Amino acid sequence: MHSLIQLSIVVLLLPLLSFVILIFFNRRLPRRGDFIGVGILGTAFGISAYIFWSVIVQTYDPAFRVAWDFTWIDLGNVPGVGPLEIRMGVVIDNLTSIMLAMVTLISLLVHLYSTGYMAGDKNYGRYFAFLGIFTFSMLGIVLSDNFFSIYIFWELVGLSSYLLIGFFFEKDSAADAQKKAFLANRVGDIGMWLGILILYSQFHTFSFEQIYANLAAGKFALSNGWLTAAGILLFMGCVGKSAQFPLHIWLPDAMEGPTPVSALIHAATMVAAGVYFVARIFVMLTPDALHVIAFIGASTAFMAATIAITQNDIKRVLAYSTVSQLGYMVLGLGVGAYSASLFHLVTHAFFKACLFLGSGAIIHAMHHEQDMRWMGALRKKMPWTFATFTLATLALAGLPLTSGFMSKDAILAGAIGFAEVEGGGIYYLIPVLGFFSAMLTAFYMGRQIWLVFFGESRTHLKPADNHHQAHHAHDSHATHGDAHHGAHEVHEVSWNMRAPLVILAALSVFAVYSPDPLDGAKGWFMKMIPTPATVVGEANPQIGALAAGSVAPQHAGVVRTTEVVPPPVVTEHAAPAAAHGEAKGGHVYSDPRQAEIVHAGHAAHYTAIYISSIMVVLGICMAFVVYVFKIIDPEKTANAIRPLYLFSLNKWYWDEIYEATFIKGSMVLARMLSWFDTNIVDGIVNGVATLVRKFAFANDSFDRHVVDGMVNFTAFTVNTTGAVLRKLQTGKVQTYVVMLMLVLFGYFVFYFTRLIY
Amino acid sequence: MLSLIVFLPIIAGLVILAVPSSQKQIIRIVSLLAALAQGVLAVLIWRGYDPALPGITAGPGGSPLGSFQFVEKVPWISLNLGGFGSLNIEYFLGVDGISVTMVILTALVSAIGVLSSWTIQKQVKGYFILYNLLASAMMGCFVALDFFLFYVFWEIMLLPMYFLIGIWGGPNREYAAIKFFLYTLFGSVFMLLVMIGLYFSVTDPATGLHTFSLVAMATQTNFNIPGAIFAPENHLWRQIAFIVLFVGFAIKVPMFPFHTWLPDAHVEAPTPISVILAGVLLKLGTYGMIRINFPLFPEVFQASMFVIGIFGAINIIYGAFCALAQKDLKKMVAYSSISHMGYVLLGLSAGNSEGMVGALYQMFNHGTITAMLFLLVGVIYDRAHTRQIDKFGGLASYMPVYAAVVTVAWFASLGLPGLSGFISEALVFVGAFSSEITRPIAMVSVLGIVFGAAYLLWSLQRMFLGKRKDDAAYDLVVGKDGHEHIHFHDWNGKLDLDGRELAMLVPLVVITIFLGIYPMPVLGMLTSSINKLVQVLALPL
Repeated sequence: MHSLIQLSIVVLLLPLLSFVILIFFNRRLPRRGDFIGVGILGTAFGISAYIFWSVIVQTYDPAFRVAWDFTWIDLGNVPGVGPLEIRMGVVIDNLTSIMLAMVTLISLLVHLYSTGYMAGDKNYGRYFAFLGIFTFSMLGIVLSDNFFSIYIFWELVGLSSYLLIGFFFEKDSAADAQKKAFLANRVGDIGMWLGILILYSQFHTFSFEQIYANLAAGKFALSNGWLTAAGILLFMGCVGKSAQFPLHIWLPDAMEGPTPVSALIHAATMVAAGVYFVARIFVMLTPDALHVIAFIGASTAFMAATIAITQNDIKRVLAYSTVSQLGYMVLGLGVGAYSASLFHLVTHAFFKACLFLGSGAIIHAMHHEQDMRWMGALRKKMPWTFATFTLATLALAGLPLTSGFMSKDAILAGAIGFAEVEGGGIYYLIPVLGFFSAMLTAFYMGRQIWLVFFGESRTHLKPADNHHQAHHAHDSHATHGDAHHGAHEVHEVSWNMRAPLVILAALSVFAVYSPDPLDGAKGWFMKMIPTPATVVGEANPQIGALAAGSVAPQHAGVVRTTEVVPPPVVTEHAAPAAAHGEAKGGHVYSDPRQAEIVHAGHAAHYTAIYISSIMVVLGICMAFVVYVFKIIDPEKTANAIRPLYLFSLNKWYWDEIYEATFIKGSMVLARMLSWFDTNIVDGIVNGVATLVRKFAFANDSFDRHVVDGMVNFTAFTVNTTGAVLRKLQTGKVQTYVVMLMLVLFGYFVFYFTRLIY
Repeated sequence: MLSLIVFLPIIAGLVILAVPSSQKQIIRIVSLLAALAQGVLAVLIWRGYDPALPGITAGPGGSPLGSFQFVEKVPWISLNLGGFGSLNIEYFLGVDGISVTMVILTALVSAIGVLSSWTIQKQVKGYFILYNLLASAMMGCFVALDFFLFYVFWEIMLLPMYFLIGIWGGPNREYAAIKFFLYTLFGSVFMLLVMIGLYFSVTDPATGLHTFSLVAMATQTNFNIPGAIFAPENHLWRQIAFIVLFVGFAIKVPMFPFHTWLPDAHVEAPTPISVILAGVLLKLGTYGMIRINFPLFPEVFQASMFVIGIFGAINIIYGAFCALAQKDLKKMVAYSSISHMGYVLLGLSAGNSEGMVGALYQMFNHGTITAMLFLLVGVIYDRAHTRQIDKFGGLASYMPVYAAVVTVAWFASLGLPGLSGFISEALVFVGAFSSEITRPIAMVSVLGIVFGAAYLLWSLQRMFLGKRKDDAAYDLVVGKDGHEHIHFHDWNGKLDLDGRELAMLVPLVVITIFLGIYPMPVLGMLTSSINKLVQVLALPL
């Protein structure tokens, strides 16, 4: 076993240890054991940092990969298949080591931050336990080398998310939100599970490496439609977890959880797991599947951005912003901008965690006020928060010199390149939506900064009747609450909450990732995470024709049709490349479409920078016009375009639509089936029973009246006859003589009548 | 060994017969000791079991030895019937991978059932005598390899169950008991006819005589009586026999549309009997299919995989929807049983190793998980004397240990990875999807994953999360420490789980978690038998 593998397993198990210790013993430990959580995460981060250092810094090889696996389930010698095992394993490549370091770092910072934010909560120890099991599950996703274990950890992060969203479970809104999150994720998960089953049913393995090698060798026996379906179904997992349209509805509600949890799970790590998963399956996605992914990502990015501009809750704005940014990442993968998308995943994780922790600091300082309408002028009172929050905002909006600028532009450049290669038309919608969302992002973040930190303090403007309700509806702890009610004195937060903000803000500066602030591709990240070569060929014959110059036409699309033996050019290049999750030096792609798109993406780099800069500046200007110079009054505008405003404020009415269709529908169906069960199915059973009983009674009465009746009738007849005849047996001679005479008389009458006639 | 594990409870029952009925504690302890001894024997059998031997059919030379283990085989009834030949019934016990897992499950659930019966106050002596009779009969069914002997145990089982529900049950107990009894009897009458037909169609290669041996019947070449009713060429009669047997076993599973006895029986039955019913008895249905129905008529099984799969899917989805609509917690759990047994049917219908291993593992896991669910329902029913989901709310704040165990059990039931139910469901789907016949069914059945989560999480929320409802079945009182507590009206025991309840639940929780992380202790015993079974079922005829 490679020493890095051993270390990674230690990293994986450490948070689990933290969970086990804290869930059972937190009440017996001083400080409810929070130091154990922080300490263990610190150790895990230290080891992860070492792994990062030795893989990324020391080795610096785009093709780096070590893996190890073991037999988990041995099904023996299965008829028709042969020896069959389900294996579990760990893989470490560049992406994994970056993700390991990122997840443990953010988790550590959130642990540290929570010692301040959650102080005094009655379930303080349990909170850290839940953070532990979350971190464990998340690291499991990152380290998995096969579909089965990624699915396992996928559901486990769902569980941790469930537990943490509902951490304040006494609030009905939190209990609703946690259930909603779990169920929405499960809907995505069944798609993912079916996708996994399609692949398993063909190859009898769950391993990424083996499945991709088999695909590259053209061993997929079903039609190409099934392969596309597998890709889209697997992507459904991402739709659920990364809150993509149409399953995005759970993420904003997930803000019912404690704010540090929102930062860790619902902004930086878990929701990005969907993107990470799509990156893992990137090589097997057919162009059709990629198109679906790109359109879903673009529409999510746009839709969420339009909702974010009207929200008043500071966390809801950030939540929709997260949905929107995840849409960017998904869009990026869909258009083939693989490196850029993962780059954005990492940069977003840091600046969005910073924003959430910053908003947590604000909420904490404002005594659980989350409505931005009642904030304002916090710049002076909370200078550290202000500075870090602003830096992260700039990164989110995508201003130059920040990390977000580089990653977002790389995605948008890829989108332009993609649209060009695909032949324009409808495909231009993707970059257009992307750029438009960039403008909206700049606008709503400008609005947020202004409402929170500048202007006058508006705490006193808050309607009093609303106050008490709102207080309980928000992120409050039991011991805080009404004690601080009257005194709204705002202070900067303590060091353990400030330090994470500073570290995260520092990681949002361009220099961490690339020496050139305008080009992320020159940095280590994009060099270390090159786009892997696809193992499935073309589905679009036009592209094949386009690339006729580079690859012989008959080679295009070979892997799709299983009758054709794959020519060597594919098996030799694509298979090992896929197996190692990398492309050989100089990014040569055997697949013509992929090569075209990567090339076009590079070419569109500066176009993207210009357009997006213009859009961002436009957005910021709009925010200034509306909120700083107050040239346009937001309320009047809202009234002027009221239907549009309400449409955005009410989140495009998705919740209402789902409530009216799926939820109501399921409940009605459930009640109908239950009625059917008690009245029809059981009714038939009881009916049969009744019939049998009726028949039995009828039988009984037949028995009593007919069968027994006949018996009794015989007896009756005999009896009656006897009774009548008995009367004759008088024992008197005179009677007998009379009877004899009568008989004789009768005989003579009979005899003589015979004679006469 | 197997005789001992089968008859230990009956011996305990005889001992109890001699104890005066006022000595309730002695009666309980005798039963518990018998159950524990059964558990020890189960562990010995588990340790002594060689997973390499396949079972299902006879080993080399037509002898069950070398294929089955712990075999006990002596002639039991020999009758000369003159012109009909002779009637040879054997006392024939033995286990293979399929039965050994069920033996362990039965021993486990029986022991937990005894602990759960501790609170029974009415006619304790009669209760425990019947309970022990039931435990023996169940165990006997799983180890019997002679069809006649199996049938005897199968019928014996009905009697104590009828009285246990009919005397110790809830308000509507007579209705539920008679429904259960008649339904099951209906199935077994036809089983008797098929059994007799099989006897005259099969010979034992070792003796050349007619036999009731299920081991001999599992090999198609032993159907060598020309013109016999179930001879290989008699397709129609073989199909009828298959259907009749299947319905008989399907009633026990219970499979839609024969399932309506189950919710009634569960709602009326006392907690320990629900635990036994869901934990073990339902498995006898699917066990019967695997041991008798499928291998005896493999070609009919091959032809009916799709139909069985459809019924499995109906069970899964229909059960989940019905569970979603229930207001009574126990009824909800009963419907969840129907839903989860659907996974077993689906896995069996796949006809491949993954699906069948999944089905068997699901039987084991459903036994432990559902036992846990019913125990937990019993805990709250003892305290609140109601099971209406709407009469609770916010319990997690006041009964944290109970809430934690409920959370584990509920999540195990909805198939959360890391808990045993997930692996079995996953294998069932893997198998069902890999088989081209059942693939479309598997694609529909995954909906069960979502709706399973829906009813479980919804009930969890309504009972445990949020705050106390105004019409809740308990009061809020402020204790001496200034904190709010809850108070149940007629309950003087511990508010949260007490020692006895923990002793029942903790082993199940540990097993559920352990087998969710490392399933091989159970799967390892299953695989060679299942692989053999799949071969037998796929045999070209």
